[in-house]
Amino acid sequence: MSRDNKPTAERKRRSASQWAVAWRRFKRSKTGVVGLIIVIAVVVMGIIGDFVAPYPAFPNPKALTPFYNNNVRTPPNSHYLLGTDVLGTDVLSDILHGTKYALYVGIVVTAITMAIAIIVGAIAGYFGGWVDNVLMRITEVFLVFPSLLFILVFVRVLTLGAGAGSSINFLGISIPIGLTIVVLVLAVFNWPGDARMIRGEFLRVRELEFVEAEKALGASNKRIIFRHILPNILSSIIVVASLTVAYAILMEAGVSFLGFGDVNTMTWGQILENNFSDARIVWWALLYPGLAILITVFGFNLLGDGLSDALNPRLRD
Amino acid sequence: MEKNNMTETLLKIEGLKTYFFTEAGVVKAVDGITFDVRKGESLGLVGESGSGKTVTALSVLRIVPKPGRIVEGKIEFNGENLLSKSEKEMQSMRGREVAIIFQDPSSSLNPVFNVERQLRDVLTAHEKKMSKEESHKKILELMNLVGIPEAEFRMREYPHQFSGGMKQRVAIARALALQPTLLFADEPTTALDVTIQAQVLDLLEDLKKKMGMSLVMITHDMGIIAKMTTRVVVMYAGNTCEIAKTEDLYEHPRHPYTASLLAAVPRLDRKKTLSIIPGNIPNLIEPPSGCRFHPRCEFATKKCEETPPVLEEVEADHFVACYEWKNITLKGESSK
Repeated sequence: MSRDNKPTAERKRRSASQWAVAWRRFKRSKTGVVGLIIVIAVVVMGIIGDFVAPYPAFPNPKALTPFYNNNVRTPPNSHYLLGTDVLGTDVLSDILHGTKYALYVGIVVTAITMAIAIIVGAIAGYFGGWVDNVLMRITEVFLVFPSLLFILVFVRVLTLGAGAGSSINFLGISIPIGLTIVVLVLAVFNWPGDARMIRGEFLRVRELEFVEAEKALGASNKRIIFRHILPNILSSIIVVASLTVAYAILMEAGVSFLGFGDVNTMTWGQILENNFSDARIVWWALLYPGLAILITVFGFNLLGDGLSDALNPRLRD
Repeated sequence: MEKNNMTETLLKIEGLKTYFFTEAGVVKAVDGITFDVRKGESLGLVGESGSGKTVTALSVLRIVPKPGRIVEGKIEFNGENLLSKSEKEMQSMRGREVAIIFQDPSSSLNPVFNVERQLRDVLTAHEKKMSKEESHKKILELMNLVGIPEAEFRMREYPHQFSGGMKQRVAIARALALQPTLLFADEPTTALDVTIQAQVLDLLEDLKKKMGMSLVMITHDMGIIAKMTTRVVVMYAGNTCEIAKTEDLYEHPRHPYTASLLAAVPRLDRKKTLSIIPGNIPNLIEPPSGCRFHPRCEFATKKCEETPPVLEEVEADHFVACYEWKNITLKGESSK
């Protein structure tokens, strides 16, 4: 038997990992690529938005420069590209400043949601029996709440309680407390659906023979859950996570638009809320932030679809 | 002491009962199995599908899936009672002392890990401090040991890029990674091509000799038993029927079930219709009274229907659980 240990170039190509295969498939999905481009654009905007915006963000008095220049409710023109709103701030600047909040909401809600969902879903699905029963009943309790109503009530009560106007400094980035409360409440009401999905995946994978094989070779439950089963369902988690980002951004906008959000943080939803009363005049102050929400949510959804196609083993060629 | 090495007992199972508590009733998958495995030997565990062979192996490892449970019996490994060990103690034994190879390598390997990670995981599960270089070296060694060419390269490939035979070699390497003293091979060739079967069996035999471990071959293939084992345990419906040296068993089967099993093996040198065993394997929720085999046995008497027989020694190293063994003559594979 020849034991040539040197890989040839041709063989190297063949040994593509599943991620390389997935990327190849992803590239072929046009919608997925469009989604990825939008998401990257939004992320870049979130990072550089504060620096490229024509005017600084609200607590800085310079934000009201258009107001002082008597340019309140100015339609889009060459100086105010997207017009100014009812408060006398530049809409383009507001949207640019708001991008980071949208990303903050999307990412943090998703992170918390997935963390809770993975832990609850993994334990329920893997151990089954009464553990599963208890956890799923708790999950169902969350699911039967009329969630929007509860989110609004909780956000209102909690923002009144905490010093909602202030912000905390985290690694040099100032994080508004009011918005963080909204984020937490959204996450708390969002994990149950994902936990059920992850439980289902665990139920499926734990029956596969390799789990028994790992157990027979001395792997602990913790090891099997996190090192063996979780990587097997990572593709589903990634897809759901990208959709959760979109959902969170949309929900935050909704909460703000209904007037329950953090009034001190100019999120996209907050811009809509501020200008809604004058909607017939300042259409630009509603259209453009609305478009920002729409495109961002659309981007994350497309990305999720693309990922789901690329990572679905049943579609693998 | 050294002289006795071959007959020293490694694993001793006595009256093992493993039941599955399903909604339809209690399935008595293993109902009073008794046998032992000696150090360094190849033991065959043979029986029809559903006779409890696999469940016996899983019971030894204490990984019987729910709703199954070991309800009674004794399992002694190296003189230690495995049934009184804690789950933690069992965990450190699995893979290190007792390992198992499963039937279908396409499903017993984790599909999202490449072979290196697959093998490293077993190593690190037991030795947390093992460095990457160390494990890499060890994995190369293992892959060479089981005859996977281009190991350095192939360890970065995923199970789906391997052929069935190669996958089973990976599974064998994984089971042997920590040099267990007892290896269960649960129909290791059933899912493989006939041409590959012989290779894998030869490999197992070779490795068994090299590593000096005991091998328990679980199979329903009498051919594999003849080729691979020195002693055989015949199981039927969760019971032990007969234990004998392989040659003895083939030449002088004492249990009617063993004889029917042997007669059901197709042979080219005899122009005879292949005989079948009438009836089906019994329902394990309500197994037949007395001897489990009596409804299908042509020699059954009243006594067989009433009380289950126990193993008795017919001659040295030959046990049978049958009341009638003295009164009947059974045909074995006499032409040799």
